[in-house]
Amino acid sequence: MNNNLKRINIYSIYLGALILILPLIAFFINAFSFRWFYPQVIPKELSLQAWVRLKLIPKPGQRTFEGFLDLWASNPTVIKALVNSLTIGILVTIVSIIIALPAARVLGLLNFRFKKLIIFIMVSPTILPPIAFVLGLNINFISIGFSGSFFGVCLVHLVPIMPYVVLTMTGIFANYNPDFEHQARTLGANKTTTFFQITLPAIAPGMVVAALFAFLVSWSQYLLTFLIGAGKVMTLPLLVFSTASSGNPALTAAISIIFIFPAILILVFTSKFVSGQSGATSGFGKI
Amino acid sequence: MGGERLKIVLSLTPPLLIIITLFFGGIFYGFLQSLGYQPAIGKYELNFSAYYNVMFSERYAKLFWSGLALNLWVSFASTFLAAVFALFGALAIRKTFVGKTLCNFIYSLNLPMPHLVVAVGMIFVFSQSGLLARLAAQIGMISSPGDFPVLVRDKYGFGIILAYIWKEAAFFFIILMSVLQSLGENFEELAQSLGANRWQRFRYVILPLVMPNLFSASIIVFAFSFGAYEVPALLGVIYPQMLPVMAFEFFLNPDLNARSEGMALSIIIALIVMILVVFYFWLTQAKIRKD
Amino acid sequence: MSDLKIENLVKNFQGMDRPAVNNVNLDINSGQLVAFLGPSGCGKTTILKMITGLFQPDNGNITLDNESLLPIPTEKRGVVMVFQNYLLFPYMNVNENVGFALKMKGVNKSIIDERVKEMLDLVKLPDIGLRKPKQLSGGQQQRVALARALIASPRLLLLDEPLSNLDAHLRDEMRELILTIQQKLNVTTIFVTHDQEEAVLLADKIALIFDGELQNFTSPKNYYEKPKNIKAAKFFGGVNFINADIVDNKIQSEIGFCEYQGDNIRDLNKKLFLTIRPENIKISKNNEFDHNSYQGKITSVIFSGTHTRYKINVNNVHLECSLQSVGIDNMKEDDQIFVHLPKDKIWGMND
Repeated sequence: MNNNLKRINIYSIYLGALILILPLIAFFINAFSFRWFYPQVIPKELSLQAWVRLKLIPKPGQRTFEGFLDLWASNPTVIKALVNSLTIGILVTIVSIIIALPAARVLGLLNFRFKKLIIFIMVSPTILPPIAFVLGLNINFISIGFSGSFFGVCLVHLVPIMPYVVLTMTGIFANYNPDFEHQARTLGANKTTTFFQITLPAIAPGMVVAALFAFLVSWSQYLLTFLIGAGKVMTLPLLVFSTASSGNPALTAAISIIFIFPAILILVFTSKFVSGQSGATSGFGKI
Repeated sequence: MGGERLKIVLSLTPPLLIIITLFFGGIFYGFLQSLGYQPAIGKYELNFSAYYNVMFSERYAKLFWSGLALNLWVSFASTFLAAVFALFGALAIRKTFVGKTLCNFIYSLNLPMPHLVVAVGMIFVFSQSGLLARLAAQIGMISSPGDFPVLVRDKYGFGIILAYIWKEAAFFFIILMSVLQSLGENFEELAQSLGANRWQRFRYVILPLVMPNLFSASIIVFAFSFGAYEVPALLGVIYPQMLPVMAFEFFLNPDLNARSEGMALSIIIALIVMILVVFYFWLTQAKIRKD
Repeated sequence: MSDLKIENLVKNFQGMDRPAVNNVNLDINSGQLVAFLGPSGCGKTTILKMITGLFQPDNGNITLDNESLLPIPTEKRGVVMVFQNYLLFPYMNVNENVGFALKMKGVNKSIIDERVKEMLDLVKLPDIGLRKPKQLSGGQQQRVALARALIASPRLLLLDEPLSNLDAHLRDEMRELILTIQQKLNVTTIFVTHDQEEAVLLADKIALIFDGELQNFTSPKNYYEKPKNIKAAKFFGGVNFINADIVDNKIQSEIGFCEYQGDNIRDLNKKLFLTIRPENIKISKNNEFDHNSYQGKITSVIFSGTHTRYKINVNNVHLECSLQSVGIDNMKEDDQIFVHLPKDKIWGMND
């Protein structure tokens, strides 16, 4: 009886896992098939058509190293969006970490008046919907000329990322013993050396996780980029959205696979750090 | 001591400045616009007519109230169902078995997945020519795509709910796994030795232990699904329409007068979320006081 | 050499109703091993951190060899602190940890290696250089921390609760090691402790600190025999306190007239307390004492191995006396006896 129950239990877990990856399976079939008509489940022929049309893979016969280089150098839309997404993500991540570091240290190690209020202000963008601020901001940005600019998009990406990086890093500092720094100072290390040799190695693992997820939050941002970029800054999520709306499944699937690749990579890389206790997890809600 | 205070102020100013100017500034300016302040078209007087229009005018009232109902239904249903699925998944998966690591990974896979992609995935799987419809046709359950129920771009928001379940169940799952892991099985073994059966152990031991975390995660999920744009924009229909999509479309309307209505809608969404969060904090604080 | 002088040192913290350190003055001679003793939160570690420069004092001065330390940044003071929880840098191995201070000075790698080996030999831990801190036991970590502190020949060594995280048997071993090394290198050393026994066993002189204020700074022996006030006496295990008055230059206590030889008689107020260590009290069934002999009744007898403790009621004052268990009269509860408080052992103090 108990054994049967156990078996049912395990089979339902497998079934659940299968259901969960159905979309992923559908993505891959769509992206690598040609004329996948209803009611086929298994496509009749595999094909790279979608990728060729997106100008990511050269036409048959030109698939040499130079062929790839030439094609990509012609700057197809997907590559442009990919480069934009990467640049914005990396820039915003670096800036947010630099800005958050001192703040997180103060919040994690010290007690002072208004600390609760400050944390409350800091986390409010994680709860209130982005549509509430971005509509108003859009008009402001138009009037000061940030709208439609790369810079404006980076700036607005800081809003969902900042609270999350500050919170995660505050958690790191709450478990951090500043006496290590004091120890290094009494042993003759100056402030700069202490930061690079003592503080940084100690907080690095947590900081890397915070950075990776900050990047992911920026990477997945649709609404903010769309409204502030005003159609002039094309990123991957914008491309996914417009392709999906226009209804070509193969193209949508191919772009989506590129779009989710870093997400899966980051999950593999950080799975041991991610737990419900860490502030990192709550950031996922924003992706 | 003065040096320390200066350090605190200097460290906190940059992130606060970003949040206050961009986030609160944006909300404030949006609020002004919702009151009819639109220098671009020469409107400076402040009133609540946009709010009145959105909620009670003949033109928009039906759209608004049906949208609000859809919003509430979608947020409640997806939060509740995602939490339930995650709870059963987490309870089932925590014992050791073959392929546990892989299953764990798959169950967490949707966590870093952008909402946008999950929505697209729902179209691929649940539309009338999607993967499931094909499977159903293959085993002879349906004969034509039209026989498959409308699950995406449907007026009940099923597609939207499915997308949120897909995505947020992973979020609940991670949180529950870590809570269960840190609790260990001692409490359950104790309860078992005191005579609690499987159901009683779930109802009187596990559930109360994970409830605080489950509840706060629910607030995050509810708040998010209430105000998010991408998923309903891709998976919703024109009527009834979820409020964030409606606000967005008002805003992009070439008629600049509709802008105030769009702003009013977004402020209403934010207000509802805020009331909910305040209520949640009040509830937990009251509980802490009681304990 | 390294004479440390602390003058009028004051430190306030936000949210504390009294100064964490209040007007402390201390003169510590070169080569001395000094203990800062007091209950936790009394400000002793705060003083250490001001000596290292991790805290800036609100008032007062700290000089080492007549040169003020205050304007010198921490890393240039030559004052090394060993923290209570050792704080070995977790991602460095033992060799890298021990060599850290020399690396900061830019010393040649081969010289560092040589010195690291010397230091590890000194703390009797050769051959563990390549291990990571978490592979070491608590005692080993403590020794490595000590080696790391000593490698750059500090002018002043500060130890924060050096023995408190160790098991009882390791504690004796570590205490011996600290004593040997301190004597061998002759480095001026201050250690902080809340354990009076530890302070007594290790220190040349003890600074007793309560609530941020220095109570006394003297040799361990004096704390036992000549405490300054009741609080200090109690901290060192004093249990016998007798109210007394000075009347016509003589001491009249609540158990009777008392002969007194203490050298502080001129400093005593009119109202005072007398105290005496339990082991200095003598008791007998017959009145065989020529002075300070009082009649009392035994209220309890507690045998504790080599010693036996007697509680005695003398004129409603409760005294405790500890005698060697061997060779004493068979005295038991409710016996009427005579209590002798030798005049050279009894000590008077103001409250």
